[in-house]
Formats: sequence, C-alpha cells, structure tokens
Amino acid sequence: MSDPASFAETPGVNEAPNFPLRVVDGLTLPPEYRKALRPGEEWKDATGFPRQLPRYFYEIPSWDSAMKIELASHFLLWEFIQVDVREAPPLRTFPRYVPCAITLLAVCLERFRDAVGTLVHISANGGYRSPSHRFSKNATPHAWGTAANIYRIGDTYLDNRGAIERFSLIARQTLPGIWTRPYGTPTGFAEDHLHLDLGYVLSVPRDVKS
Amino acid sequence: MPKKEGSSPPTTEIVPRERALREQIEKIEQESGAKAIAVALRDAETGFELHYHGDRWFHAASTIKVPILLGAFAAINRGDLLPHSRVHVRNRFLSVVENIPFRVESGRDANSAVHNAIGKMMRVDELAYHMITTSSNLATNLLLGVIGSDAVNQTLKELHVDEGIELRRGVEDELAFEKGINNMVTADGLLRILIMLSEGKAFSPALSRRMMDILHGQEFNQGIPARLPKGTRVAHKTGEISTVAHDAGVVYLPKRKPYVLVILTEWDPDTTGRSRTIAAISHTIYEYLIQGPVDE
Repeated sequence: MSDPASFAETPGVNEAPNFPLRVVDGLTLPPEYRKALRPGEEWKDATGFPRQLPRYFYEIPSWDSAMKIELASHFLLWEFIQVDVREAPPLRTFPRYVPCAITLLAVCLERFRDAVGTLVHISANGGYRSPSHRFSKNATPHAWGTAANIYRIGDTYLDNRGAIERFSLIARQTLPGIWTRPYGTPTGFAEDHLHLDLGYVLSVPRDVKS
Repeated sequence: MPKKEGSSPPTTEIVPRERALREQIEKIEQESGAKAIAVALRDAETGFELHYHGDRWFHAASTIKVPILLGAFAAINRGDLLPHSRVHVRNRFLSVVENIPFRVESGRDANSAVHNAIGKMMRVDELAYHMITTSSNLATNLLLGVIGSDAVNQTLKELHVDEGIELRRGVEDELAFEKGINNMVTADGLLRILIMLSEGKAFSPALSRRMMDILHGQEFNQGIPARLPKGTRVAHKTGEISTVAHDAGVVYLPKRKPYVLVILTEWDPDTTGRSRTIAAISHTIYEYLIQGPVDE
C-alpha cells in the first residue's frame, strides 16, 4: 500500500503577478447568473452528444480590468469577452464571468500569432459567449471559453475561401489537436471568419476542492 | 376649410388652386418620363392634405428604413434595447428565400463607417444614424437582424400605421428581389408615419424627437430640399434603386408649422432626371403652400 503521506500537496505558487482574477464556483453564483451560465450542466452538441458545461469561472470585476489583464503577450482579456445584445442581460454587465479554460485558448492563440507573424483579431461574439447567448443553439466550445472566431489577421479579412483556408492550415500545423471549421455557407461551415477551437475543455483550478 | 383630396376625388370638390396644383404635378409627371408618380402631403399649418395616387404601391427602396427606424425605437421603448446597446457588425445575412446567405456590397453604401467596423461592434443609435443619414444597407440589415421584421410589423400595427407599408425582408436580398418578394410602400403609408413622428406621437415626444433628429441628419439632399429656400430644414429619407426614386420627409420653413411630404416615383431603368423631378414637385408644393390654399 502506498503511504497516504506521499499524496500530500506540495506547497506551490500559482498566483500570477499580473493575473488578479478570483476563481468562482458557478454553482455559488446568484440565480440570474446560474440561469445564464448553467454551470456544470449537460448540454447537447449539434449531433445530440451531451457535453458538460464549465463550472469554474474567473470573475472579471470591470471593463477596465479586462482592458489591462494580459492572458498572453499579445492578447488581453477584453478581446475574449466582447458580446453584443444577443448575450443574456446579466452577462453584459460587470462583474462578468469567463470559464477558466480561457487562459488555454489565449496561449494557443499566442502561438498562432507567432506563426502568422501579425495581429490576430477575434470578432465580437467570437470569443467566450454563454450557453444563453442567442447564437448558442447547441453546445459550442465558445461556451467553454475554448473557441475563437478570427475575422482579421493583419490587414487580411478572412471573408473568402483563400484567406480562410490558408490560415486554417497554419493553425492546424501550429496547434496540434486544434479544430477549424471548414469554409462554406451551410450550417457547420464558416465563410466570414476562421473558427478554431480546442474542443470541450474543462479547466478546474488546482485550489478547487469541491 | 381646406379639403382633403382623395386619389380620384370628385372634381366638384376641388377648389381651383388645388386643381391647379394637381395639374402642375400631372404636367411634371408627363414631362419627366416617369412611369408613375405619387404624392402625399399634409400641412400642419393649414391642415391641407393632398393625396395624388397616394394609395399606389411602389417598391420601397430605402424609404423602408423609416419604418425600420420606428421598429428600432419601439425596441428601445420596450426596454429590449438601449440606444447604446452594442451590435456585432457582421456582413452575413440570410435571404428570406431558403435562408441562403448573402452579403451587402460595400460599394453600395455611401458611408464606409459601418463596413469598417466589421468584426467589431457598433451602438444601436450609431447604426440607426448610418441607416438613415447615408442609407447604409449594412446598418439596416444589422438592425433588422436584432429587432426582427415581425417585431417591426407588429410595431406598425400597434401604432396604426401599418396600412401602406409592407416590410417583408432586409435590403439587398437579391434572391428575394428575383422572386418578387419586396418591401412595398404607398405615399399615404409613409405620410402617416412621418406625421406621427413630426407630431411627437411615436412612443413619446422624446423618442419621436430623437428619430426626427436622425432624419434631420440626411446627407442626400437632391430631392425634396433641393429647390427650397435657403434655411429650410428637411428631416427626410430618400430611396433609390434602378426603377424607383423616392423622397419622404418633414419640411420646416421659418415662421410656420411644418408640412409632411412624400414623393414616390417609378421609372424605366437608366432614365435620368429623377431627382430633378422630385425637386420640381417639392418646389411646386412649396409655392402652393406659402401662397395658402384657397377656401371653398
């Protein structure tokens, strides 16, 4: 038998000096937020397969803080939380909540940015959006904070087959396991942006014990 | 008392000067080469009304943006939207024909501000402003996407201004155009909306004023305002496609109450002189009104 003592946590440091956001358990949020975020609930994707929604979120106190907090060298938090009137009303005002996996997406995008060598622009409604957003018909990694719709790279608008397929290939070459939406007009395709996502990744911060 | 004149009024009810006005409009119509012209007028100073083919249906072109403006402010009035609510600027819309995606051509919008914001967000009041003042088709479809055509039509119904207005789709939906699915208006229909706006009766005086302020910002002034005296203010909306040219607005002259004027015209494609014709009718009506209609 193993010595239980060998499983004891080693004291460590996880407080990033420039990342002051508090982790919250979505199940402890007020009812209007729980209704909109549906923390930990099951949600079916377009194929009918059930997915489990994120439960742990970073709490963003203000737009000012979102404008200042770096998720990666070239990506600030605000770039991932731009939503329009289609988002559920409680989630359009501060404090706002984003799934903890958003940091993983930012790191991936940073690597993608390095590969393309220029600015990568995430569209409005194209970062995190809640399961209550009017665009969210089925489970989408956008509601996990692990998907981005990129409408422009440098001076190139991704609104045509050539541009979308070129940058889609770079994304897949650069980020193993990344999924990009194929070019096209039917549902499930994209013709005016590059959608890339990491899948339905759940991030549970180390300090969470519940 | 000034008389209300119908589309085909008994000639015995038309006072001589009023008959002369109709004849002048008919003359302008004949000389212009237009296929059809309709005029609707209401003068708040005298109560005089003119309805010259006022119930004839025309392709609405961009005059449909006035009812859409009303629909946007209805959403604001209900609290569904705020003037500063943000809308994702995206150039992708679904045709009413089989939901096939289409885009608004950037070259057709006189103002590039909305196209330049693709991928970002703009406020509802900014979109409303661009929809009216430079007739941005992209702004129009974005607003309609948020509000919904059904909601706009419901608003028109609730305000009792739905007669003479048929909103069936967004703009630049070419597939719908090919199938004959178009937004349609009558001069009388637009007149009713503009009267309501000018009288401050659309939702509230404050919201009516905001809509009028937007209409005052109109940048295309070759129609109704073109031959009016300097200093005249006109809150209006134009509309033009290959086969129609329209202008509908409220005319504010110094030291008198305003008049509401709608001029709709239909043409063979490539016919010239459209704005000139609208300006001529507007000028004729102006001259008639400042001289004052003759009582029976």
